[in-house]
Amino acid sequence: MKTRKLSAVLGLTAATSMILAACAAPAGTPIVQTVVVKETEVVVETKEVEKVVEKVVEVTVPAPQAAEWTTPHPILSDIRVRQAIAHCTDRSALIGSVYGYLPEEERSKLFMDTFIPKDSVWYARNVDPNANIVDYPFDVEKAGQLLDEAGWTLPEGARIRVNDKKEPLALRFTTTNAPFRQTWGAVFVSSLQQCGIQLLPSYIPGSIWFGGNSGLRRRDFDIGAFAWVGEPEPPGVTLYACDQIPTPANNWNGQNYMGWCNEKASQAIKQANNTLDDAERKRLYTIVQEEFSKDMISLPLFQRLEATAYSKDLKGLIPDPNEYFSASADQWELAGKDTVVIAQGQEPASLFLLQESAAVAVVVGQLVFGVFNTSYNYGFQPVLYEGDEFPSLDNGGAVNAEVEIKDGDVVVNADGDVGTLKDGKLVDIEGKELGLTGKNLAGEDVQIAAGAKLPQLTVTYKFKPHSWSDGEPVKKADWELGYKVACDRESGAVSYFTCDRVVSYEALDDNSYKVVYAAGYQPPQYYLAPFGYYPSHRKIGDKTLAEIEPKEFKNLPELTDTPLGTGPYVIKSWERGQRITLEANPNYWKGEPKVKNIVVQIFDANPAGAVAALLQGTVDVVGKETLGAGQELQTVIEENAKGTIVAEPIASPTWEHADFNLNIR
Amino acid sequence: MLNYLIRRFAVIVTMAFVISFVSFALLYAAPGGPLEQLASMQSTTRRPDPDEVERIMKRYDLDLDIGIRFLRWLIGHPRGSIVIGGQEISPNLQVGCLKPGRAQLVYPDGRIEEINCAKPVYLRDLDGRPVSNGVIMLDFGRSQQLAREQPVSQLINTRLGPTLLLMGLSTFLAIAIAIPIGVYSAVKQYSRFDYFFTTLAFFGSGMPTLFTGVMGILIFALIFKDLGLPYLPAGLATSNRDVAIPVFGLIRAGTVPDRIWHLILPVSVLTFFSLAGWTRFIRSSMLEVLRQDYVRTARAKGLIERVVIMKHALRNALIPFVTLLAGVLPSLFGGAIITESVFSWPGIGKLFINSLTASDYPVAIAYLLISTFLTLVGFLVSDVLYTIVDPRIRMS
Repeated sequence: MKTRKLSAVLGLTAATSMILAACAAPAGTPIVQTVVVKETEVVVETKEVEKVVEKVVEVTVPAPQAAEWTTPHPILSDIRVRQAIAHCTDRSALIGSVYGYLPEEERSKLFMDTFIPKDSVWYARNVDPNANIVDYPFDVEKAGQLLDEAGWTLPEGARIRVNDKKEPLALRFTTTNAPFRQTWGAVFVSSLQQCGIQLLPSYIPGSIWFGGNSGLRRRDFDIGAFAWVGEPEPPGVTLYACDQIPTPANNWNGQNYMGWCNEKASQAIKQANNTLDDAERKRLYTIVQEEFSKDMISLPLFQRLEATAYSKDLKGLIPDPNEYFSASADQWELAGKDTVVIAQGQEPASLFLLQESAAVAVVVGQLVFGVFNTSYNYGFQPVLYEGDEFPSLDNGGAVNAEVEIKDGDVVVNADGDVGTLKDGKLVDIEGKELGLTGKNLAGEDVQIAAGAKLPQLTVTYKFKPHSWSDGEPVKKADWELGYKVACDRESGAVSYFTCDRVVSYEALDDNSYKVVYAAGYQPPQYYLAPFGYYPSHRKIGDKTLAEIEPKEFKNLPELTDTPLGTGPYVIKSWERGQRITLEANPNYWKGEPKVKNIVVQIFDANPAGAVAALLQGTVDVVGKETLGAGQELQTVIEENAKGTIVAEPIASPTWEHADFNLNIR
Repeated sequence: MLNYLIRRFAVIVTMAFVISFVSFALLYAAPGGPLEQLASMQSTTRRPDPDEVERIMKRYDLDLDIGIRFLRWLIGHPRGSIVIGGQEISPNLQVGCLKPGRAQLVYPDGRIEEINCAKPVYLRDLDGRPVSNGVIMLDFGRSQQLAREQPVSQLINTRLGPTLLLMGLSTFLAIAIAIPIGVYSAVKQYSRFDYFFTTLAFFGSGMPTLFTGVMGILIFALIFKDLGLPYLPAGLATSNRDVAIPVFGLIRAGTVPDRIWHLILPVSVLTFFSLAGWTRFIRSSMLEVLRQDYVRTARAKGLIERVVIMKHALRNALIPFVTLLAGVLPSLFGGAIITESVFSWPGIGKLFINSLTASDYPVAIAYLLISTFLTLVGFLVSDVLYTIVDPRIRMS
């Protein structure tokens, strides 16, 4: 009996850790800093606690001397060392270690040299073939020269370089314990050893490395490796701007973990996120990429690999690095069968997408709600927009006019922070004073004050006439309800970022609405509709949806489980933990889809099971978000080569890189 | 007897309380959780606004001290200001902190108190905040991640059926097969039969279900299909489409044959795994009994061997077996985490693992608490059963 128990426990531990390892590292997921840490300098408004007297007292607590994290790193602050490390990294060997099963030419597609994938229209060399991107080819000799110059020499017979104080050239290398990272990490370590650089690797759990108060966010590393996820829009200011360096003084806010402050790049990336002119944005991003590669503060390694695996009989599916396969569902055809079975690695928590943005929910959401636009191949394409075009400054759908701001106006400053102008001060929702520098229409700095002129964006979003799946046409009241719920503080929405920057919203008719944004707010993606709609006519008990409080929405099964949409499919049933069954929407605006039923089969965190079912023919699609990057990916790519299924390898927008920490405490 | 039961029950309640508090505190102390989920749900271009963070903290009681949070989870209280006879009781009782930092409290009498919290939460701030009725009222709250805002009990209900079916069937089969094999092995000790099943038993308990499950899928689901043999499904509890398999013909999705077809592989894997332990147990228990004087007496009386074995030996050998049943109760509920994962079986074990990876604390704690309770009750039941089947044992 003991044996049985012991083996059960061991088996459990092993398998649990495997399962956890498999699901743990959403290693590629971007980390956004939260702010639940100790304040070091506060002006606190303290509410009186005796209930009898309501009195607000303002107290200033002197800031304790904080460690500033500005001391240059003894080794890595020297650019020659960083460049030497770059030259010394055999990136093709790194890629080979994890994707050895790929042919050579497929592997070279994964190579990265700036922070933007090569397929993206924003990649510097796609903008300007002569962009001044510094390449760091694998060159041990060059690396040796750079290190010699930097004072790190190799003593006779030694393997590690030392400086004139005989200190060794040893650096901590930190990343997650995901097997994938340990594999290429080992190659990275031995690669640098050839140049006399010793890396002391520590492979720690993702929960610590990406934890709220540890690892990366506390800049506790010399060289730290992780992944960012490339989006259709290049990464924003929080990654590379000077004021985004996390330090104790700013509550560790920001994601510039390297501590890189290059004024030219910093300004360019801020401006790139505050102008609507695409050509100008490309020029600015090229500057940032040039500076990024020149300073070598973060070594881009490679894009990960991904694939969407599906049956050979399924036609019309579009696998894409940026868009979900379900966006093409209305075009699918499956020879000889009327039901397409999709495998999903996780059950959607809810289909109330205001609150839920996990990939699994979005995939089902696209089937039920359809899409306003797609985001194929690092770009956006209109779908439901009238005339098949986005509103723009050129076609008159958007107007960017300079307005005179006055006291009480909601204003966005040059940093992108929003506040209300009160007595010459810009105050945010928390009562904190914000910077008073804004940008005018010409892109020049202006002082934010009553009477100053700032650009104000007004956009009219127009859609094609279409109906809900119950046949009821979409109405003006539906759009109004969409805005009301999205911006209700109690609705449980993930974010109120856009709501806070909207001055007015008006549904113009059954198929369009107009948004006036706060003065100074210049979102580059203004053409994407910020708000959706709800079927205001839908009966919930004896009320209609329009009569229900927005805070109740997230608890309504009619919205979380069986929402009414305008997309190609309608939810027929949802067996919790097992499957969601959908049928074709006869009232879909593009016409009823050819595939009559779609079943979303849940394979909870079991990609191997999903792949086995695909090979067995009981499942037709395994999306990239379910397949992951492990053994199953290799299996489907090999099966693709044999011709049993389709699973073309795609360079993922998720890219691995090693950051250099330029400062220490 | 009644006294004994009352005493034991008190112990169970105390134990359950201690265990639930410890697991509650440990889970909340672990990294991850709704706040990090919030952070990762947002794009790289910005970070959560402070008010978003505060909203999430309030929504999940993360701003409250762990003791208060535990109390609200356990008994659904405190729910806000406590008013007795129109008088508010201790309105300034701080129950948590929404924002760490430093602040000064200035009282009307000019007294200044410095606290280590920039935004303290007072008892009265809990007025109107949603709260469950408490675990003691069998309200396990709402799921935070897996099925956002849905009651945990509903989530558990949907998984209970498949788990009970899988575990009940495999436990029943394991015992039903183990008893004859164990008895025969003991009677024919050191025979070829005994060696064969002893080896098989060690093999079965030595092979984790992760391995046998994956091998089973590979052989019976994939290779058999490629070879054109009647094959088994690679997982799940029912089909989504009608399937035609060689020899047996068409199996319609969702019918009883379809369910049985899906049960074969996971039940076999689980039965094989636990069969070993049961067989070894019956065998050794039987061997011990066979050496007893009363068995020799029975034989000396001239009883036929079958009666000696079945009536005199086996019934006594099964007495310690009852203690093992204590472990069956929680496992019937708790499911087989690994097997359920390998076969994508929509059961409770899998729900538990998912709740841990998704940091869905209310679900994870509900599972832990129910398992704890069932384990403790299982022990009590087996102790009581022991006195019934073994007259030599009395309760005191």
